[in-house]
Amino acid sequence: MNEKIKNVLWPLGFGILVIIAWQVGIIHDALGFKPFQLPVPSQIIKTLSDNFSKALADTMITVSGALVGLALGCLIGFIVAVIATQFPKWGYTGLSVIAAFNAIPIVALSPIMNRWFTSGFAQKVGVVTVVCMAAMAINAYRGLNDLKPFAKDLLESYAAPEKVIFFKLRLPNCLPSVLTALKINVAAAIMAAMISEYFAASTSGIGFGIKDNLRKGMMAMGWSYIVMAALVGIILYLIIMLIERRAIKWHASQR
Amino acid sequence: MMISRKEKYKVNLVWAIGIFIAWELLAFFLEQVIHDPMAAAKMPYPHSVIISIVQNFTDLMSAAGLTFSRAVFGFALGAAIGFILAIIMSLSKIAEKISLPYLIVSQMIPVLGLAPIIFTLVRDMNLSRIVIAAYITFFPVSVNMLSGLNSVESDKKELLYSYAAKKKSIYYKLMIPYSMPYLFAGLKIAAPMSITASILVDMLGSSGGIGVKLLYSLYSGTKDVFWASVVTSALMGILSYFIVILFEKICIPWRKQTT
Repeated sequence: MNEKIKNVLWPLGFGILVIIAWQVGIIHDALGFKPFQLPVPSQIIKTLSDNFSKALADTMITVSGALVGLALGCLIGFIVAVIATQFPKWGYTGLSVIAAFNAIPIVALSPIMNRWFTSGFAQKVGVVTVVCMAAMAINAYRGLNDLKPFAKDLLESYAAPEKVIFFKLRLPNCLPSVLTALKINVAAAIMAAMISEYFAASTSGIGFGIKDNLRKGMMAMGWSYIVMAALVGIILYLIIMLIERRAIKWHASQR
Repeated sequence: MMISRKEKYKVNLVWAIGIFIAWELLAFFLEQVIHDPMAAAKMPYPHSVIISIVQNFTDLMSAAGLTFSRAVFGFALGAAIGFILAIIMSLSKIAEKISLPYLIVSQMIPVLGLAPIIFTLVRDMNLSRIVIAAYITFFPVSVNMLSGLNSVESDKKELLYSYAAKKKSIYYKLMIPYSMPYLFAGLKIAAPMSITASILVDMLGSSGGIGVKLLYSLYSGTKDVFWASVVTSALMGILSYFIVILFEKICIPWRKQTT
């Protein structure tokens, strides 16, 4: 058996083992869960396929909010990073201010957004934007400034203006870090959108679906929403990875 | 471009005062120019927030302390499990092959969003707080620690092998000290997140803690306490980050600080 197949088989086998143990009730026995607390996989899949259109519609609402917020947050974060690069003396502290946003708990953000915006969609976008800003600003700043030694000196010796240095050297150089930030932000954006739905006035979306179904005691439906959230997270992550593979073929991490 | 320490201090001071004034102006604008009836709730004057923090100081601190202590406990537990798993994965290739894909996939899944599920499973407030904080801490810690253990240069290892060093002493003397910076990178990501998790569990129906304060003041409309609790929880997140940095300075004094 060659190495590649082994790399897939080991984790796959382990995963199947866990699902079987879950299905036949070993996990329930070991941890003392009742079936109504933790539904078995077959039940979750059945519930999901029965209610697929509703689950999909709710997922779309959450994902659209998350993506708009992601785009806005990344744009703002990137602009801050560019400003901090071009005006290091005053801009760098601005970067620290944005980084401090990273430490603000999402749960404290979403009530603020509830007060600022009345529509559930705008609330979601607001929370996600703030959450995504920090990671992008920090990573993009690192990419714009961790230049190869002497590359900037070389361009300066050619008397290249600041604009040329920026577009020919800094911008391509920051691409790998920007993509790293995107990967971090994809999961964070969906998570933030879900959490903002827990506390917002909205009556749709994955977060609302989980909360509402658990409150009503419909565990299997709640778990179906979790499956959807996990799937969306994985799909978005894979899309970013594909973009990464095409966009930075020249970078060491891709070879 | 090197900026002197004194100048940096000056720049930071100007920024802090600038933000404070901008906030005051914005609050003034909302209240006096647009006459927004919700002005005090949307954007209160920063000085009134500070006054309200001072007035409710003991109350806020006891709530914050409750939330913080649970988060710390879960954080420590998660960090310990992550650390041990990373060591096991570096010792055994099979363990690494089995768990690493799941560790990576689990980073794509919005873990914090699963908090209500864990809450319904555990059915105990304090325990589920600890479980969620531990769960969130565990992933970044183990992934970072493992990448640290794997990036030890092989000639260093070979040197120790040539001295006939035992596996145990290789880990104690080379691998673990070497991967400490990586471990702390993971801890820095996890610390504010474990605070967030703890507050989230508060809000899902705990009896005390800063999250309950947030939720009550949100619905009952006592506006100043709301903003005071938001500021407090933000400060908790920032504080947790600095505690990790402090520990980093104590544990790995040989490394130059680059944050």
